[in-house]
Amino acid sequence: MLKGSNIHKSFGDLEVLKGIDLEVAPSEVVVLVGVSGSGKSTLLRCFNFLERINKGTIEIDGQVIDPKKHKLSEIRAEVGMVFQHFNLFPHMTVLENVIEAPIIVKKMKKADAIVLGKQLLEKVGLSDKADVYPSKLSGGQKQRVAIARSLAMEPKVLLFDEPTSALDPELVGEVLAVMQQLAQEGMTMVVVTHEMKFAKEVADRVIMLDEGRIIESADPATFFENPSHERTKQFIQLVD
Amino acid sequence: MELIQTVFEVFLRTYPGFLEATLTTLKITAVALVLGTVLGLIFALMKISRSKILQTIANLYITIIRGTPLIVQIMFLYFGITSLIVLSGFWAGAIALGIHNGAYIAEIFRGAIQGIDKGQREASSSLGMTRSQSMRRIVFPQALKRSIPPLGNQFIITLKDSSLVYIISVPELFAMANREAAQSFQSLETYLVVGAYYLVLVMIFTYLLKLYENKLNVDK
Repeated sequence: MLKGSNIHKSFGDLEVLKGIDLEVAPSEVVVLVGVSGSGKSTLLRCFNFLERINKGTIEIDGQVIDPKKHKLSEIRAEVGMVFQHFNLFPHMTVLENVIEAPIIVKKMKKADAIVLGKQLLEKVGLSDKADVYPSKLSGGQKQRVAIARSLAMEPKVLLFDEPTSALDPELVGEVLAVMQQLAQEGMTMVVVTHEMKFAKEVADRVIMLDEGRIIESADPATFFENPSHERTKQFIQLVD
Repeated sequence: MELIQTVFEVFLRTYPGFLEATLTTLKITAVALVLGTVLGLIFALMKISRSKILQTIANLYITIIRGTPLIVQIMFLYFGITSLIVLSGFWAGAIALGIHNGAYIAEIFRGAIQGIDKGQREASSSLGMTRSQSMRRIVFPQALKRSIPPLGNQFIITLKDSSLVYIISVPELFAMANREAAQSFQSLETYLVVGAYYLVLVMIFTYLLKLYENKLNVDK
């Protein structure tokens, strides 16, 4: 579904990703963990072409994506992204946020988009908020709208960049619940998070990044109970 | 006490002519604002575009226009380019004011556009929007809202700067006042009266602007 091979990414002299190989199967939920600065967010942003990779290839559905040849807007429409700070459009209502891209990008009819938008808002439990502006929502509600907005494009893969890190602790659960539901419905997901409980319960695979390399990749049970790398052990102790 | 009385007399004597002149002032200002806003938008977009050529053209325009006096620009359009095109006083003045304003408004728009959180652009790209879709639908509407207070300021400056076109004999408010003062020798009273005209116009405009801003902020 999504495959990165030998991904290198530098910012100036700083090499953030030093050759990442990662393949995500359809319906797989991959959780990326690592200390800050390990490159996990950068990797996610590369998968969505918000950052251009310096070396390596990215394949989506078996097709190698060349940013020079392909229209990035078309590729991005297939790879959804949920951001730490939500990035909702403040000048639009909740429903308008959700239906904007289907109408503008996919040229969907407005009436159809509204039906889709309302379905998605119901799915994330926010039907009653359709006509309010994002500033009136709590952080957890905003993030759920952002998830609905991404889903409206019917992406093949959904990337989550620390989706609960900006939330008050009591609001984390409602967002994770929506993500868990998506995972159960078979959505392919790559999630950067510090929520180890989510990693343990929902992930098919947990991957540890350290200084721009993958040092551990295992199913959650093995990852948390029997990690092979010393740095992974330290990390698990640190977050527990 | 006597001054108040003579000021009032001057007001009563001059208001038919002054009101007509006010209309000319407002017309010039309106043309200048529309032209300035259109030019400002075009040059702001050029300045933030990825094309070096467009950036250079925009920088050149802004540097030259902001770096030379408005009165020089008015004279240039009226007397300077007669071999190219002959403009009436009204149009020379209005266009000069518009071009002048465009440079300042371009910087207002550019600042507002660049001030929008880059997360907005990233979110719209991640949804598959192109650069121009994202600008049109997401970034610019937010930037426009943020531009309104500085734009209002610029509009007030334009209204007052329109008095400079008296130099090319456009019968606007200040030109009328000059004529009146010279004929009646009541300079003190006349300039007090004409000052009050501008003050009232600016106050009305400020009030309308405030209503508009409140309307924009109702539900957001």
